[in-house]
Amino acid sequence: MATRKRTLLKVIILGDSGVGKTSLMNQYVNKKFSNQYKATIGADFLTKEVQVEDRLVTMQIWDTAGQERFQSLGVAFYRGADCCVLVYDVNVMKSFENLDNWRNEFLIQANPSDRENFPFVVLGNKVDIDGGNSRVVAEKKAKGWCTSKGNIPYFETSAKEDLNVEAAFQCIAKNALKNETEEEIYLPDTIDVNNGGSQSKSTCEC
Amino acid sequence: MLAELRTSKLSPQKYYELYMKTFDELRMLEVFFREETKRGCTNAYLYELVQHAGNILPRLYLLCTVGSVYIKSKDAPAKEVLKDLVEMCRGIQHPIRGLFLRSYLSQISKDKLPDAASEFEGEGGTVVDAVEFVIQNFTEMNKLWVRMQHQGPAREKEKREKERSELRDLVGKNLHVLSQLEGVDLGMYRDMVLPRVLEQVVNCKDELAQYYLMDCIIQVFPDEYHLQTLETLLGACAQLQPTVDVKTVMSQLMERLSNYAASTPQVLADFLQVEAFSKLSEAVVKVIEAQPDMPLVGAVSLHVSLLTFTLRVHVDRLDYVDQVLGACVKKLEGVGKVKDSKATKQIIALLSAPLEKYNNVVTVLTLTNYPKVMEHLDYGTNKVMAVVIIQSIMKNGTFIMEADKVEALFELLKEIIQDSDGAPTLDELDEEDFMEEQNLVARLVQMLTNKDNDEMFKILLTARKHFLKGGPKRLGYTLPPLVFSALKLVRLLQQQGENSEAEEGAASSQKVFQFLLQTVEALSAVPAPELALRLYLQCAEAANDSDLEPVAYEFFTQAFVLYEEEIADSKAQVTAIHLIIGTLQRMNVFGVENRDTLTHKATGYSAKLLKKPDQCRAVYACSHLFWVEVEGGVRDGERVLLCLKRALRIANAAQQMASVTKGSGGPVTLFVEILNKYLYYFEHGNQHITNSVIQGLIELIVTELQSENTTQDPMVDAFLASTLRYIRFQKQKGDGVAERYAAIEV
Repeated sequence: MATRKRTLLKVIILGDSGVGKTSLMNQYVNKKFSNQYKATIGADFLTKEVQVEDRLVTMQIWDTAGQERFQSLGVAFYRGADCCVLVYDVNVMKSFENLDNWRNEFLIQANPSDRENFPFVVLGNKVDIDGGNSRVVAEKKAKGWCTSKGNIPYFETSAKEDLNVEAAFQCIAKNALKNETEEEIYLPDTIDVNNGGSQSKSTCEC
Repeated sequence: MLAELRTSKLSPQKYYELYMKTFDELRMLEVFFREETKRGCTNAYLYELVQHAGNILPRLYLLCTVGSVYIKSKDAPAKEVLKDLVEMCRGIQHPIRGLFLRSYLSQISKDKLPDAASEFEGEGGTVVDAVEFVIQNFTEMNKLWVRMQHQGPAREKEKREKERSELRDLVGKNLHVLSQLEGVDLGMYRDMVLPRVLEQVVNCKDELAQYYLMDCIIQVFPDEYHLQTLETLLGACAQLQPTVDVKTVMSQLMERLSNYAASTPQVLADFLQVEAFSKLSEAVVKVIEAQPDMPLVGAVSLHVSLLTFTLRVHVDRLDYVDQVLGACVKKLEGVGKVKDSKATKQIIALLSAPLEKYNNVVTVLTLTNYPKVMEHLDYGTNKVMAVVIIQSIMKNGTFIMEADKVEALFELLKEIIQDSDGAPTLDELDEEDFMEEQNLVARLVQMLTNKDNDEMFKILLTARKHFLKGGPKRLGYTLPPLVFSALKLVRLLQQQGENSEAEEGAASSQKVFQFLLQTVEALSAVPAPELALRLYLQCAEAANDSDLEPVAYEFFTQAFVLYEEEIADSKAQVTAIHLIIGTLQRMNVFGVENRDTLTHKATGYSAKLLKKPDQCRAVYACSHLFWVEVEGGVRDGERVLLCLKRALRIANAAQQMASVTKGSGGPVTLFVEILNKYLYYFEHGNQHITNSVIQGLIELIVTELQSENTTQDPMVDAFLASTLRYIRFQKQKGDGVAERYAAIEV
């Protein structure tokens, strides 16, 4: 049991309000899409089992509120993340410009052990809109930014048309798994059932 | 670790960190429980087992964790387990601990609700059970959250409110869960979800909760739901506590709806069908009524939001726009000039919005309530707004083509165009600002134009009517452009050929000239005599081109009157007389008699200038009044000679005066100048100018230059040298002119 690999991967999705974080997650996990805009409050996750190179892992995908006022409790959930997904809307320049802030904010708050090599993945979402005619962030520009930040993998996606979503999350899972090795030692070993039961009983003092 | 969650010492954010750590561990435990059930342990057994935990808080966390596995296994209907869990959680009544526990419940159950089309639907229950569960959890959480403010000492209220604010997302998250349920369609939202949630919001009577939860409702549910339930939602707004910042809540709703309309034009029909505009306007009124203590700025900014909504959604409905402005006017009634700077800012926003949207001041002028809102701005701000309006006109190149529009516009701009009651006196104003504003008004005049001459004339009359109220300091800026605008009209009338049977009120050259005469006269009374004189001369030229002798004569007469009575400065006189001579020279409309009178006067004034050199130059310039090199022009050689001789006499006198007061070398140059005039007429065939006269003058100059009284002046030497070189050149040309020059020796 001691050689057992950790099977839970924690992924955080960040980005401006309205870029499609929730939609991407819903498309990937539930294969559902809705055009309606619904703000996210606080942070919440969905899980999905994924096969990565003959290993079955559970991905815990944390969707976050893009609007600051719906993030009242802070970002304690960044802790222990294995991969951070930065999303922007290719039709909104500001959302791309803010990627820098999101990345810095994440590195400061999550404080991963190896800042330089912490895996990020960037998604340029909503490429379907208006047949791509209304996009303002060129693919080249986005790729340039990703390269400058240590070769971050980049995907152009459409949650609406399920374009590249699967591929992107495969990459996310793969990168998250690479990051895992180091933290493995912190994980508790499997708990024995009786032991588990008595442990919870031992807290009984009142 | 679970036991540590029992602490009361942590702030919400720290507690959240602890909660997150525990949460991660509980995920492991969940995996373990699941594996345990695979090894033959029943869910029901585990569910019972964890209830042996002694402390209630760890017990409930464990229960929720097992419950999650239990539902997932489908060994029991989801609705039953959920119902049990949400009931059990009542055991924790400490706000922070309770909120986090319930938040845990919400988190682990989120993907296990018997939602429509989910795997737990059917035996696990229906979407109604899911909604019931979430709403119950929400209600309990909200109660805990609201109650929290009453716990602990009063002096820590501020700290507690801050903590409460940090906890808000735990409560709001439930609404997010509701919005994510597939089974909650419009009907269900309208009939069950919204009324239940709003009931909770309204009844909790807590400022923080109401504001935050309304914001959440607006943000988490889709636009089309809001549109279809506007009445309910807006109705709740009016029932909130009087201290709640409803204006921000409603602004956000309106912003969302207008974004929605902008991004999906096909929903416009729905907006009309549900009468979104009238519902929103009514709600604005109601909310303002319901909150009598709302500061003015709040009320105005509500109207700004409504206006922004209207301009985005119903851009073609000017009546709606006007209605919003009207409602604001009503609110401002009895307030007088708004003193509060924040409210003023909002009024500016209210007034700027239509300008920016339509980019056309003429459209804005049709809004009858627009000027009424503007009335409420204090003097300074009103002027700022006026400047904004003019700048908009200039930027967009908006022509104002009707007299009544000009009337309306000037009514709007009145603080800048005239002195109203209560305005500070002009001396108190910053000179530079004033100049800038008036220059703007002057630039505006070119935008008041119409190709129809009659309407154009009406525009001019209207503009002047307003400008004349501006007082002397403004007229110098505002009237000249008006004069030129009128002159342009005269020229057009002349080009198009006068309609001799002009109707009453129709424009005719005569009338426009009458207008001009009065306008310039107003300027001369300012007094701005030098400016007025120039304008009179401009008008005279225009009258000349229109072939109206009496009119031209009248303008000249006025110019002379001004010269005599108002222009006292000697330098100004010199400039004025040269302008008069120059203009008069070009006139061809005058008969002999009128011309003689005017020339006579001009020559007379020339000879009376203060300084001899000025006299001399003006007099020799007058010689041109008798010799006009155009077809049919006057050519009175004898009087030319008289003028030049007179100029010579004056130059002589100047020379004598100069020799008395030694050192001024000026006058000799006068001789050379006169010589050049002689040469001009000589060349143009004036028989009275003979070669001997010129010869004599040259000798005279040479003598003068050699005289010991004269100081050396290289300029004069050079001037003479080039004049003589010119004569030599002409002699060598070998044509008719050369023959005449032959007799002159140099």
